[in-house]
Amino acid sequence: MHDTDPRVKLLMLVLTVVLLLVFQNLWIMLASWLLILILHRSAKVPRDRIRFLLRALLPVTILMPLIWVIFYPAGEVVISIGFINIRGESLAQGLTVALRIQAMTFAIFAVLFTTDTDTLMQGLVRLRMPYSWGLMLSLALRYVPNFANSYSSIHQAQQARGLEYESTRGLKRVREMMPVLVPMIIGSFRSSEQMSIALEARGFGVPGVRRTYLSVIRFRALDWVLVALGLIVAMALLALNLAYGFGTDPIAIFP
Amino acid sequence: MTVVIQDLSYAYPDGDWALRDVSLRVEQGEFLSIMGANGAGKSTLCLALNGIVPQATGGRIRGNVTVDGMNTKEHPVATFAQQVGIVFQNPESQLFSATVEAEVAFGLENLGLPRDEMQDRVGWALDLLRIDDLRDRSPSQLSGGERHRLAIASVLAMSPKILVLDEPSANLDPTGRSELLSALKDLKSTAGLTVIMAEHESELIAEFSDRIAVLDSGRLTKLETPERLFSDIDGMRALGLGVPQVSEVAACLNRKFGVGLNLTRYQDAHRSLRALLNAR
Amino acid sequence: MCNVWFSYRDGDDVLKSVSIRVQQGEFLALIGQNGSGKTTLAKHLLGLLHPREGKVLIRGEDIHGKPVGEIARRVGYVFQNPDHQIFSATTREEISYGPRNLQLGEAEIVRRTERAMERFDLKVHAEQQPATLSFGTRRKVALASIYAMDPQIWILDEPTGGLDWRSEQATMTLLHELNEAGKTIVLITHDMRIVAEHAKRCIVMSEGRVVAIDETRRIMEQAGVLEITPPQVWRLACAFDLQPLSLTAEEFCWEYGRRLATESEISVSRS
Repeated sequence: MHDTDPRVKLLMLVLTVVLLLVFQNLWIMLASWLLILILHRSAKVPRDRIRFLLRALLPVTILMPLIWVIFYPAGEVVISIGFINIRGESLAQGLTVALRIQAMTFAIFAVLFTTDTDTLMQGLVRLRMPYSWGLMLSLALRYVPNFANSYSSIHQAQQARGLEYESTRGLKRVREMMPVLVPMIIGSFRSSEQMSIALEARGFGVPGVRRTYLSVIRFRALDWVLVALGLIVAMALLALNLAYGFGTDPIAIFP
Repeated sequence: MTVVIQDLSYAYPDGDWALRDVSLRVEQGEFLSIMGANGAGKSTLCLALNGIVPQATGGRIRGNVTVDGMNTKEHPVATFAQQVGIVFQNPESQLFSATVEAEVAFGLENLGLPRDEMQDRVGWALDLLRIDDLRDRSPSQLSGGERHRLAIASVLAMSPKILVLDEPSANLDPTGRSELLSALKDLKSTAGLTVIMAEHESELIAEFSDRIAVLDSGRLTKLETPERLFSDIDGMRALGLGVPQVSEVAACLNRKFGVGLNLTRYQDAHRSLRALLNAR
Repeated sequence: MCNVWFSYRDGDDVLKSVSIRVQQGEFLALIGQNGSGKTTLAKHLLGLLHPREGKVLIRGEDIHGKPVGEIARRVGYVFQNPDHQIFSATTREEISYGPRNLQLGEAEIVRRTERAMERFDLKVHAEQQPATLSFGTRRKVALASIYAMDPQIWILDEPTGGLDWRSEQATMTLLHELNEAGKTIVLITHDMRIVAEHAKRCIVMSEGRVVAIDETRRIMEQAGVLEITPPQVWRLACAFDLQPLSLTAEEFCWEYGRRLATESEISVSRS
């Protein structure tokens, strides 16, 4: 997975997202979700990264079924707790939405985790995206870990001056976080300013020069096979969906 | 390739004059250090050498900086990349790539060099800064010193004629500093590299510089050899600047015994003090 | 008496079974190459990082489980980069942030803030935005805001890095004053000249281990083994066999001067 051409990965990502949006069925969604997680494991993505994503998505995962159960009643009542009636279909729909969000996020991160930003950028540039956009994107992606680092050292510096978070939510929490947020914002302004200067100093955008690349990405035989396979499977699934209503019902696979 | 600075005055958009009437000529193959108190204009002068000041920073400018006859006000900053390589104080904000190798190649890619030449130059620069074993690592995993060396390798790979270093000692430990400067000294003698270094560490400056320019509130107040500059301890202290420890020793012995010593570098000091003992 | 005892083993082996003891009121330098674990060790003393094994004691009390804010009453930590802490709209507010967190009375907060601004000549900048001040001044603001918290133990991570000679002198004068007033100083630095002139004892770290703890003079004597470069005068004194070896330029001058005098006496008696 790591060695696949980034353009192939991007194509696969687009196909996956389209399919995930088309299907409405809980079981299909569950299967896709499992498949994508297996993909992560087979690509040797570290467990703690997966755990981190799962934790980040937890609120949405709980919220979605709740919203559907409460606001979109449909189907038979399965259980009632007090005045809330949990209906089978709403629950299935809510779970489907939650799984879809998870599956899509994991699909995007499958690409990010297995492609270094330079290769990804080159893939995008070869797909006719201007180089400067690609560079901005890869710099932005690289910025995430930097940001996390600066958060932890600034947080420590303020802890040393007695900062403690007392409230856990709301405006008060934001106010407590100001001593950390302000230096982070000032710092990122300073460094983005310096970065643009440093880019120019390294000859970025010399007029009249066509940029070359040290490592060049190339389609290999396997990449072509993957593209063909991906397109065929996607087409087949879409055809099933359009002709036989495959995956259109929240619960039954073929209605 | 010479750098000529002529009556240069510069003010940042919302500020007072950061440089005032600075005139200076740096010859090819020279090692020039810039000293000055915090806020005296050292960094600003460095940034003026390839046109970042005033092109990227705005503000008001008078006078001219020419590199090899090209006025830095009149050509885009990027066109000077092959003449003037700048290594900034903070290594984080000058690294853009996912691997060490790609980082060194970045500037060469911008110049549109063919691949095999790129490979040669990348290998050369990584060897020179002794970071060849880190080739496939991500710059974000490196230590501060390694990152600084990477930033320097990335600039040197573009084979600039002039290397500008803004406070290299800030991120390097003493071993790292002397390793770096010894490598630069070699490049200076073999390839005629010109080095311009803004720095506080007087002992490092004394060891490697041919001349030292001293800035005081944006004005060039002194331009001398280390020997002459560091023999005037009181003058340096008045400017808020330090001198090598051996220069302090010389001043103290001169005061006590009237021996007329002038010491700036450790090795020379060792020799002179030994000779003085033997003479008695 | 202030005991800090500490041992720790990490997955990445940043620190490997480190044990140190810092005496109350001493001036201690923490030295070693980049990446040797100095900062990591120092952060443990404040409970910013927690040991996986072993413990940190301050005055015999285990700091494990105590909030950092509580420890910060006794231990002040000046970070390497002043921009990691500056956030307020005015210098005065910035400096008062620490004392305010100590939950002192309003009058005491004002008194301490004003005293800190006085001590660091920051009165002129009191109403200015600290983030817009020069680098040297931002450093002073960072020092002043710990000074206002008046901790018993000061930990400083490269407080003179990037400063000119005058600011460096001013910082070292401050540390001396604090030390004279009975405060404990733990100074992380690369500058062996500063170490030789100011520190009474040194801890030398290498690859996550403490390789030596001793009086500064004894540390310099082992410079070769410890892979440190002593200041120029020490090396000269070694070369000329001066006894005792010199830690400062004045000491060297004195000893070398004496040698010069005896040498000439010898040569006079010979003739």
